[in-house]
Amino acid sequence: MTDPLESAEISEKPDTQRQRFVLDETGFDEVPKRFRKFYRKWRGPGDSLAANEVICPVCKVVIRSTRELRPGDRIYCMPCMSRLIVVMGETGMLEALVAY
Amino acid sequence: MADFLSAYSIQNWLESCPQGYLEGTEFGHQPGESEPELLAQNKILHEEALRTTVQLVVGERCALAASSGLINAAPDEASKRFLATQTLDEARHVEIFTQRLYDLGVARRDLESVIKQYANHNLVKFAGVLLEKVDKKDFVAGVVGQNIVLEGMAFTVFEMMHALNEQMNPKFAHVLSGTIADERRHVGFGENRIGSLIKEFPGKRPEIERMQKEMSYYMLATFADAFRNNPAAAEFDKLQQPQAHAKWQGVDLAEMPPEQMESVLADTVLKEFKVRLGRIGIEYQTPARP
Repeated sequence: MTDPLESAEISEKPDTQRQRFVLDETGFDEVPKRFRKFYRKWRGPGDSLAANEVICPVCKVVIRSTRELRPGDRIYCMPCMSRLIVVMGETGMLEALVAY
Repeated sequence: MADFLSAYSIQNWLESCPQGYLEGTEFGHQPGESEPELLAQNKILHEEALRTTVQLVVGERCALAASSGLINAAPDEASKRFLATQTLDEARHVEIFTQRLYDLGVARRDLESVIKQYANHNLVKFAGVLLEKVDKKDFVAGVVGQNIVLEGMAFTVFEMMHALNEQMNPKFAHVLSGTIADERRHVGFGENRIGSLIKEFPGKRPEIERMQKEMSYYMLATFADAFRNNPAAAEFDKLQQPQAHAKWQGVDLAEMPPEQMESVLADTVLKEFKVRLGRIGIEYQTPARP
C-alpha cells in the first residue's frame, strides 16, 4: 500500500478520468518516510483543500492522493489508522466518514 | 478482530516515531533548547509553569497505568501489540514532562512532594474513574475512558498549549508537538477499536455514558481550577511583556482573559467528545458545569 486511495468507487469513462497530482514532501514526519508525502498538517483558517485532499475527521491530518478524490472512494489515514469513505459534504467540499 | 490494525506494526511505529518525528530530539525537544529566562526570573510565572507541568505529569501517569493495564484485558493480539507501543509512548510522556520539572529547577529528591503539592484534586478524581475500569479489566470502558476521553482531552489541550507556546517557548512547543503526534495514534485506536467492539457489546453503553459524564465533569472542574484566578495573564500585563499572538480555533488566545480561554477550551473538548462518541454509537452525556 502506498497511495492512501485504496479503491475508487466507480469504473470511470474516459471523459471523467481523474486529474493526476505529483506530490511534494510537506514536512510531515509522523509516518514512515515512504508515506510522508501523502499527508500534511492542516494549517487552520485560511488553508484550503485541493481536489486530491481530504481531512481525516479522527486525527485532523490532511490526506493527499496522487489522484483526484471523489465521493465513494475508500482511503486510509496512516497517522491514526482510520479507514475512511469520501463523501460530498453539505458545504460542497469533500469530507470523509470513518468506516469501522 | 481489530482489522484496522492490519497495517500497524511495531516496525511501523519505529519508523514513524523514534525514527520519525522524535529523531534527534532530547526529551522531546531539539538539543540545546532551554526554558525562557523569564520563567526562571519571575516567581509567579515560574510557579504557574510548575503547576501546569505537574498536571501533565499526573495525566500521563494515569495514561501509563491505563494503557499498560489494558494490555492483558485486550481481546485480540493486534490490540495488545498496539497498547504495548502506546504504553511506551505514555512512559515517554511521563518522562519528558518530569524532565521539564527538573529543567524548571525542581530537585530530584523533591519531585514527588512537588507533584503532591500542585496536583489538582479534580484531575486525580478524573484519573480515578478511569483506573477503576482498568482495574476491573473492563476493556471496552477502559479504552473509551483512556483513548477517547483522556486522549481526546489531551489532544485538544496539547494543541492549545502548543499554540500558546510556539513563539514564546519553542522548547516546550517542540515537546508538545511530539506528544500531539502520539495522540493521533491513540485517539485513532480508541475510535476504531471501540467503533467495531461496541456493536458486539451494546449493553455496555449506559455504563460507558455514565463514565464519560463523570470524567467530563472532573475535566471541566480541572479547567476551572486552572484558568479562574490564574495570575499569569495579569503578571504579563504588569510586566508589560507582550504576549505573542497565538491563533487557535480561529481566536487569538493572547488577547483573551483566562476565563474566556477556559470557555473556548472546554467547548472545543466537549464538542470533540460529542462528535467522536456519536461516530461510534455512544450518546454523549452533558456534564454539570462546575
